[in-house]
Amino acid sequence: MAGLLFTPLAWASLSLLLDFRKGRCVSWLGMVIQVLVSLALWYAVMERGGFSYALGGWEAPLGIALRVDGLAVTFVLLTAAVATACGLHAGFYLDACKPWQRYFWPLFWFLWAGLNGVWLGADLFNLYVSLELISLAAVGLVALGGEAAALRAALRYLFAALLGSLAYLLGVALLYGRFGTLSLALIDEQLASCEPALIVALLLMLAGLALKTALFPLHGWLPPAHGIARSPVSALLSGLVVKASFYIAARLWLELGDRLGSPWLAQSIGALGAAAVVWGSWLAFRQPHLKQVVAYSSVAQIGYLFLLFPLTFAVAEPVSLLAQQGITLQVISHALAKAAMFLAAGNLILSIRSKRVDALAGVSHFLPFSLFSFGLAGVSLMGLPPSGGFAAKWLLLQASLASGQWWWVGVLLLGGVLAAAYVFRIYRASFLEVGDSDDFYHPPQSLEAIPMILALLALGLGLVAEPVLSVLSLPFEVTADVNEAQL
Amino acid sequence: MNGSPPLVLIAASILLPLLYPLLAARPGWHSISRGALPLLPLPALLLALLSTTPWTLELPWLLLGSTWMLDELRRSFLLLTALLWGTAGLYAVGYLGGKHLRRFGVFWGLSLAGNLGLVLAADIVSFYMFFALMTFAAYGLVVHVGGNHARFAGRVYIVMALLGEMAMLAGFLLAARDGGSLLLAELAAGIAASTNGWLMTTLFIIGFGVKAGLPLLHFWLPLAHPVAPTPASAVLSGAMVKAGLLGWLLTLPIGEVGWQSWGQGLILMGFAGSLGAAVFGVIQRDPKTVLAWSSISQMGLMAVLVGAALMAPGQVSALLPVIALFALHHGLAKGCLFLAVGLVIPAGRLLQSFLWVLLALPGLSLVGMPFTSGQLAKAAMKGALMVLPNVPLAGLLPLLLQAATLATVALVVRYGWLLWQQLERGTIPASRWLGWGLALFCSAVVFWSLPTVALVMSD
Amino acid sequence: MTATALLPLLALLTSLLAAVVIFVLPESSHRVRILVNLMAALLKLVIVALMTWGVFHGVDFSVSFTMLPGVSFMLRADALAMLFAGLSAVLWLFTTIYAIGYLEDSPNRSRFFGFFSLCVASTMGIALAGNMFTFFLFYEMLTLSTYPLVVHRGTEKALRAGRNYISYTLGGGVVLLLGIAWLHGLAGDLAFRETGHFQGADPALHGQLTLIFILLIAGLGVKAGMFPVHGWLPQAMVAPAPVSALLHAVAVVKAGAFGIVRVVYDVYGIDFAFMLGLLQPLAWLAAFTILYGSVRAMAQIDLKRRLAFSTISQVSYIILGVALFGPIGTVGGLVHLLHQGIMKITLFFCAGNYAETLGVHRVDELDGAGARMPATSTAFTLAALGMIGVPPLAGFVTKWMLGTGALATGVEWAVVVLLLSSLLNAAYFLPIVYRLWFCPVAAPWPGERRWGRLETSAWLFWPPLITTLMLVLVGLLAATAFSPLSWAQLIVVRMYLP
Repeated sequence: MAGLLFTPLAWASLSLLLDFRKGRCVSWLGMVIQVLVSLALWYAVMERGGFSYALGGWEAPLGIALRVDGLAVTFVLLTAAVATACGLHAGFYLDACKPWQRYFWPLFWFLWAGLNGVWLGADLFNLYVSLELISLAAVGLVALGGEAAALRAALRYLFAALLGSLAYLLGVALLYGRFGTLSLALIDEQLASCEPALIVALLLMLAGLALKTALFPLHGWLPPAHGIARSPVSALLSGLVVKASFYIAARLWLELGDRLGSPWLAQSIGALGAAAVVWGSWLAFRQPHLKQVVAYSSVAQIGYLFLLFPLTFAVAEPVSLLAQQGITLQVISHALAKAAMFLAAGNLILSIRSKRVDALAGVSHFLPFSLFSFGLAGVSLMGLPPSGGFAAKWLLLQASLASGQWWWVGVLLLGGVLAAAYVFRIYRASFLEVGDSDDFYHPPQSLEAIPMILALLALGLGLVAEPVLSVLSLPFEVTADVNEAQL
Repeated sequence: MNGSPPLVLIAASILLPLLYPLLAARPGWHSISRGALPLLPLPALLLALLSTTPWTLELPWLLLGSTWMLDELRRSFLLLTALLWGTAGLYAVGYLGGKHLRRFGVFWGLSLAGNLGLVLAADIVSFYMFFALMTFAAYGLVVHVGGNHARFAGRVYIVMALLGEMAMLAGFLLAARDGGSLLLAELAAGIAASTNGWLMTTLFIIGFGVKAGLPLLHFWLPLAHPVAPTPASAVLSGAMVKAGLLGWLLTLPIGEVGWQSWGQGLILMGFAGSLGAAVFGVIQRDPKTVLAWSSISQMGLMAVLVGAALMAPGQVSALLPVIALFALHHGLAKGCLFLAVGLVIPAGRLLQSFLWVLLALPGLSLVGMPFTSGQLAKAAMKGALMVLPNVPLAGLLPLLLQAATLATVALVVRYGWLLWQQLERGTIPASRWLGWGLALFCSAVVFWSLPTVALVMSD
Repeated sequence: MTATALLPLLALLTSLLAAVVIFVLPESSHRVRILVNLMAALLKLVIVALMTWGVFHGVDFSVSFTMLPGVSFMLRADALAMLFAGLSAVLWLFTTIYAIGYLEDSPNRSRFFGFFSLCVASTMGIALAGNMFTFFLFYEMLTLSTYPLVVHRGTEKALRAGRNYISYTLGGGVVLLLGIAWLHGLAGDLAFRETGHFQGADPALHGQLTLIFILLIAGLGVKAGMFPVHGWLPQAMVAPAPVSALLHAVAVVKAGAFGIVRVVYDVYGIDFAFMLGLLQPLAWLAAFTILYGSVRAMAQIDLKRRLAFSTISQVSYIILGVALFGPIGTVGGLVHLLHQGIMKITLFFCAGNYAETLGVHRVDELDGAGARMPATSTAFTLAALGMIGVPPLAGFVTKWMLGTGALATGVEWAVVVLLLSSLLNAAYFLPIVYRLWFCPVAAPWPGERRWGRLETSAWLFWPPLITTLMLVLVGLLAATAFSPLSWAQLIVVRMYLP
């Protein structure tokens, strides 16, 4: 289990010493190991439920405590899948000749380590550290684009991330001052009444995390960064990185929100999410560049996630569970679909030698496969059955109706329609028939296969949503046998 | 006694004309197709002559479950249909040019199948089916020649026919609900028992009235009958209009008590048609148009008979054979008259005068000259009408009948005059003569030996 | 897994797998693709025939698993499902044959046939769906898989039509989703059941249920081409003829109509829907659509557009039959599901033949086509007469059943609508028939192609003839067992006398 954190770190250091090509070989080996370990952990959780694990045998107040439950292990597995896909794709996609590309692998592994740290972290400070690791690695990855615009976007990203981290850290500090511990579980136990200082702390933390997650209206940094980065990097960023900060925000809300939150707060966060859905989709529809469309789509899709806040606040337990399940599915399906979409978009850009949407004419004729991956990913984003996106939307609809907050229904439905608008805009452009000559670059099959597999996973997720969700509800044993968890 | 249905003959009667259009599939088969025209109604003729009536045939798999039957009334209509189509077919062999021959054959066969089938049908659905088949296929015969006249006539024909079909369908739907049965035989009782009886009766009178050329529903008839090729005109005017008559007989509540006023109305309509048609007919310049008006006039008389049957439930058994007889007489005679229009008089004075006598014969028959079918029919009609109880117009009835005869005379004279003027001199294929001759033979000679006639004469 | 659970899955998978195989095949391997297409179509036909036989004898084919908490994916073959499944299985075969000929030597065939198979898979799924959720799943899949077919030509016009199509259908889908989700929240996972689910429901819920019903019908009405949400249908005519045939006769509009049948009978229950007073407005709407479609059809010069408006009119017969609230009317509506399919597919095949063989697209260019293409024109004529409702063709049986049904429940005005619609049908079909047979050829054909002995390519020649034979036989032999009429009666017997 510790391997989940240390393998990436070890590989990060290792690949720092190697050039891009050698780093690639080494990293692929690392990916295999990571996937196997993740699967093993998942199997363990399936067998005996969630457990806590103290790193190196040091218990919570002193050491680094890790906490594994169904949700965490699902995200670990998701990370393994998406990161592996992006890593494989990047191995073929990135231009090995550019000298700065050798930094891709270390940054990639740092990112992975940070992500696993967030999923498994049990105290607020560890979460902070992991989050910073992620942010810095992500900024570095964006900068790998090499152009001036990429550097500008990376810098902007860096400022946003630092500001977010700062706000979060401030909140953590406030909590530490009040409770003297950073363990989320311990804070949860001690928290009895609602104090203004605590509310400020929560607000600060949420604001910082919202900035990092690019919640409307704090989303300005995301589209340039995700749009300009190389496609595998964009896929990683959109698929996983923004989810990390959201994951922390969600955990804070679910643990502390019932006491520190207020209906007003919950509804306004939901309203911001709704605004993100509408505004992001609209901007996505208007973008001239293919990757910008996909990037703005991320803004919109992230908006859905924040419906978690109103839908779990002061509602009946089953409704809250529905909403949590829906959001989890949304995270998973968006990660898979968006990664697929960015990778497919990368392939398309490679083929048409242009970033513009209107250059896609004829693609459907000569490059059906890449377009098909893009399209399947789009199905999930539109929330059409049987995709995971649909399953998520269904659960959220049920939760909205059951909690009496019917206004979110409109957001969910409108979001689907708007998503259809921007996805079909791409289809429309690529179905146009112009001439009979095939002067497109045809990417190798391995490049084309990866987004297809991801898209199919996103599409099939809806059909197996029940087994996936059942993992989430596995029991959590607080008194776990430490030795058995040594993986 | 119920005879057993002769399955092979029945199948052949319907299927032969129905499948005959398949000959059109190959262009090379057109000579066979032309030669087969007169043979098409032969099985039906045999069926009418040979089978022991009445028989009933259940066909539960057909449509919504069908019943076909042949009784005395139907046998008479079947005879007429088969004879007329046969002779007209023979005539057509010599009449038709090569142009659009295949198309003509298709519509001829289908119309014939419809006309024969509707006579045999004993349930609503198959009756309606055959009726529609005949109506739609006959459109092809009407517009066969082409040109603006034919197109206009065709349009009027099809529009009115469709309206008629719709009225009929509405009537049938209502009747099927209220009567609870799809059998035509149970229709009358159903209508009589229903509160919607008046509606159904109106619908049926209108629906079949279109085909039978009832006044105000007749507009298509003087347009469509003349433009069709001559053999088609003959069957249209001789046989197909009779389908309307048969429709009335089968669907109206004949034999039920309480329809006096309806019967009187129909009688009035009939006389109006009979006399009015003559007024319009005598001012025509085309012998075929005169004949078409004459058909309206004669059908008016048949409407009078139907009205009488509606009025006097007690007299139905006496009236039905009379109606059948009249239809038979008119159909055969009218067929001859139409076919004559397409003849070409050969040279030779003696032959010519002999021919003119023969040409005049059906016309005289229509007028009711002694020793013709017309005389028998008219006498039978008069006899049947005169014994009707409490007719309000009883006093006027002889007068009206006289007027109708006068109208017929006027039309026949006009027809003769036009024919005299317009008939060309020269030679034509023998089969045309043969067809006409056979028709004449049927009308003047065979008529007397037909079962229906024998039945009426024995009374 | 037992055979009863396996068969519905297999029926679905035959075309799904065919789609996958076709997508994977390279564009150039025509023969293999044709083989895969035909084998899959035949296999599906066999499976569906087997299931039909089983359902007739009371075998319960069903398979289900939980997909989401509280929601199951459920396939179940009842008699109604087999009606639709049978239609799509039979017509898929012929449309496939036709499409092979129609798209000979045209680009993007791999894409076309792939989505074509997906489309049929969705239709099969819609037919066999055992609950509203599964129905919706395939309903949306159908929307997506038909889009590439509609825009197949890739012209600006086709793409515009595609955008229109997708806006309408996805919009309808959203409304439908709302209805289904709401209903689900109210009553849980509703399996289709012959008597519906709301018999004796709490009167307090009636208001909500009425609203949901309106949502559901509005969502389904888009695909069924009901007024006022029919606008996509005539535009979608830019698609190739086999696609139009598929859209109109089998897949899309029928999916909508079938859905309405399911909602009225198997979700709400006819008695309950009647009690809520929902059937009457539905019948009015259907009646209006019938007349509206016919009137609009008369004004169209383009042959396929005329047929499209005719579809709008004809599909509402089905809905009218359902809304008449009586067993006989229902029989009429259900049987029209099949009959309209057979007739309309024939008409579209013929329209496609004229376009492919003669280059003719407009009604006024058809003068004299009967002499050049007698078989196709015969097929067209018979199908058109069938649409008018001339006996013994398929359309007559429908009209008779609907008429009797309307009278049986005392809805006399519906009969007037039917008769009027017949007249209107005649008014826009008979002039075409007249031109085919009785007008001389006015000008040389715009784009004539010749194929040896037959009047057109053999792939295009036979499908309309076979469907024509079917449309004659289903009417002529309506009283036999396994005719569409008998099957519809079986459904109704099971529905009304549970």
